[in-house]
Amino acid sequence: MPAVETEILIIGAGILGAATARELSRYKADVTVVEKNVDVGWGITKANVGVVCQGRDTLEFRPEYHRTRLLWKALPLMEPLCKELEVPFKRVGAYLMIRDQVLKEKLDKLAKRTESLGLGADKYYPYPELKEKEPFISPEIKGGLHDPEIAVVHPVYLTQALMENATRNGVKLMLETEVTGIRADHTTFTVLTNRGEIKARYVINAAGEWVDKIAAMVGADDFVLFPIKGYVGVLDRNCAQLAGSLLAVLPEEPGDMNIVVPTVEGNLLFGIQLQINRRHDRSTTGHMARLALRNARKLIPEISEKDVINSFCGYLMFRNFEIGWHECEVAMSERVPRFINMTIGYPGVSASPGAALEVVEILQRDGLGLEPDPGFDPKREDIPDFSLLSERERKALIKRDPRYGHVVCRCETVTEGEIVEAIRRGATTLDGVKFRVRPGTGRCQGGFCGPRVTRIIARELGIPETEVTKSGGASTQVPLRTKQLLEKGGADG
Amino acid sequence: MASRVDVAVIGAGPAGLAAAIAAREQGAEKVLIIERAEQLGGLLPQCIHNGFGLLYFEQDMTGPEYEKAFIAKAMSLGVETRLETMVIDLDAERGITAVSRKHGYMRFKPGAVVLAMGCRERSRGAVGIPGTRPAGVLTAGTCQRFVNIEGYMPGTRYVVLGSGDIGMIMARRLTLEGAKVEAVVEIMPWPGGLIRNEVQCLHDFGIPLLLESTVTFIHGEERVEGVTVCRVDAERRPVEGTEKSYPCDCLLVSAGLIPENELSRKAGVELDPVTGGPVVDQNRQTSVPGVFAGGNVVQVHDLVDWVSWEAEAAGRAAARFADKGELKAAAGVRVMPGDNIKYVVPHTISGREDVTLHMRVTQPGLKATVKAGGILSKRFRSVRPSEMVVLDLKGEALKEAGLKGELVVDCEMRGGG
Repeated sequence: MPAVETEILIIGAGILGAATARELSRYKADVTVVEKNVDVGWGITKANVGVVCQGRDTLEFRPEYHRTRLLWKALPLMEPLCKELEVPFKRVGAYLMIRDQVLKEKLDKLAKRTESLGLGADKYYPYPELKEKEPFISPEIKGGLHDPEIAVVHPVYLTQALMENATRNGVKLMLETEVTGIRADHTTFTVLTNRGEIKARYVINAAGEWVDKIAAMVGADDFVLFPIKGYVGVLDRNCAQLAGSLLAVLPEEPGDMNIVVPTVEGNLLFGIQLQINRRHDRSTTGHMARLALRNARKLIPEISEKDVINSFCGYLMFRNFEIGWHECEVAMSERVPRFINMTIGYPGVSASPGAALEVVEILQRDGLGLEPDPGFDPKREDIPDFSLLSERERKALIKRDPRYGHVVCRCETVTEGEIVEAIRRGATTLDGVKFRVRPGTGRCQGGFCGPRVTRIIARELGIPETEVTKSGGASTQVPLRTKQLLEKGGADG
Repeated sequence: MASRVDVAVIGAGPAGLAAAIAAREQGAEKVLIIERAEQLGGLLPQCIHNGFGLLYFEQDMTGPEYEKAFIAKAMSLGVETRLETMVIDLDAERGITAVSRKHGYMRFKPGAVVLAMGCRERSRGAVGIPGTRPAGVLTAGTCQRFVNIEGYMPGTRYVVLGSGDIGMIMARRLTLEGAKVEAVVEIMPWPGGLIRNEVQCLHDFGIPLLLESTVTFIHGEERVEGVTVCRVDAERRPVEGTEKSYPCDCLLVSAGLIPENELSRKAGVELDPVTGGPVVDQNRQTSVPGVFAGGNVVQVHDLVDWVSWEAEAAGRAAARFADKGELKAAAGVRVMPGDNIKYVVPHTISGREDVTLHMRVTQPGLKATVKAGGILSKRFRSVRPSEMVVLDLKGEALKEAGLKGELVVDCEMRGGG
């Protein structure tokens, strides 16, 4: 296989890699992105609940921190970016609440700090007033501080949109390409992958969960990250009325994150008890689930186990508290020139537009002449969402393409037209389709549509159904035809 | 719709077919079944095992045979159908919005509506099984569709969580396909499905049934590699130290069925939190006038025969409503679940006509007496939550009792068991 040559290689197509690729696609630059998964945004981006945080948290966002500056740079960009790329963005606002009146002092301090930083004047609502805004809140809650700025996005949708727009503007994306080693000389990096060598002048390490391991391949690992996970439960859309804003209880103990988050699609998420984790362990335990539900019910007593339709493992990378604080989160390695580490971890989604700008600045400072590409098209058109359209729009869409009249997923009202379009835009797996147009994310979790989506993917990709996977690799949905096992003499044959 | 629809039936499973036939027989001129799938019959085409029609036809039939009998009758009566058509909205005035590839976007208001959407299975997410999230975890019914309709096998070596009927039937079906079913795991002290299925599907094939046990962890990155099974205590919590691992590449979930009432909710139909289905009167009329319901959308039955009968009542009443533009609620008496009774359907009865009460007990027991007020008491050798109890009350007896407001149904154990 002849070596691929590129000027800038981005390792990882998560939110940070995609945002950077898209930012660089504004310029006449030769950019390639490698991603080891079969789709984009499937590392820790997928394990993120999608809160666009505002950096008001005193401990984690001191103004002198680089991450705080990145975040503040990013915040005004997020909503216009989502608009440009036609991905949902919902400014839901948040209440940071207390159960103990004694903690009111802490909220006052927080409000004062927010004001002194020029971030706005957050108002405190005692329980009776809070109840008018959020009627399902437990009477145990004494009051809450309202942050009107908090918003939610879908991190995977945003990543897909960024990557779609970047590739449209000339960025090359190589999926299922895993970096196994990196050699550096004075002018060039030679990046070894399962698909052969890639030669690059600059390497941007946006490997998310594996950012330290990639950096270590070239000796640029002068930082420490550790993984943290938590249980996130997904509630049926029927429960949407239980919370209109993000509701959080001021942590009384470290790691005690008790939140209810409305998503862009109208489900509520709840969780999460954070715990330090083994690398790559995305499993959840019954204990985590019970604890999260119990906590959520302390916030909103009406949340019921019956309404939990799914759960996942929330997963974040944190910088080491002891030695990582004051370093830059996006920086060229001091040890390895032209190697840029993106080590934000939390809050990667919120900070991503700022981090991408920072990469461009670093490259320019290093003397890479980035010239704007006049052909750059910032727009991306979203896949039509049949469930959200008006009667007139639905009729027009079905007239244009009758496949939009065929509802495949009952729970989420997803049509065949949307599924086919998701595949056209790069989905090759069940999860790829699910994370673009939602079939199987509703209350029946694919019980009805699963076999039908499998059939559509096989048909569109021209592969047998036995090769359709959930998420690539060995994750085939139906690996065998009937009678094949009998012909082999059974399971033990 | 070009012409007026008298009765629109949503769903073409056993309930929808029976309701449509009954509506036609009752005199409704234009009866239309709307079905989201590619064919009529609902889940019956994939139920290739026997045990259907033992009560209704007094014959042992397979699902497809049972379905064919109803389809033939519906066709001969001129029932109209729209396949691959999804009803996406139902409003409180019976306005239906449906879409299909072939017919596009449709809105119409029928004379009456019968809800016959059946039920869905509880998924892995709803059951909340901990562990990783690999391929190879699916509900028993989805597996049944893959195997019996699509002709594919989701795996080679299986564990089944939950001993619902479909789970037990699939354990046998997969064994016949050459797969190995390591175990059927049930959290309760008793099986979730019918005794006949426990015997014919598990015992006869040497498949272990692990009672008071549950799956506490799913292992595997891309595909399921195995599950951990634990014993549970009286509170259904896993007992530490009892973990046993079972290697498998597929976990089937057969842990209960939930009536499919998303449309009912949109129409503002009152639902019973216990059954998960609409609150209905003796005619199977819901809280929304002109909207009727029958079959598993009302309550999850364990025999299809009762699905058909219940839906027939709904279909007949819907035809009467469509004819007159109203049907007085048969709701003079409220039926209340008493001792050891989880629910009773219908929720209200007229108190004057013959009626069949369907109910489930909360706790199993031997030598039980089920009593409907002082009107009727019926003895059972045993009762189990997984087997529906049916009581037939005579109109004469009801009138004689002169019920005022409510009728309480109790299940008493006579002891000695």
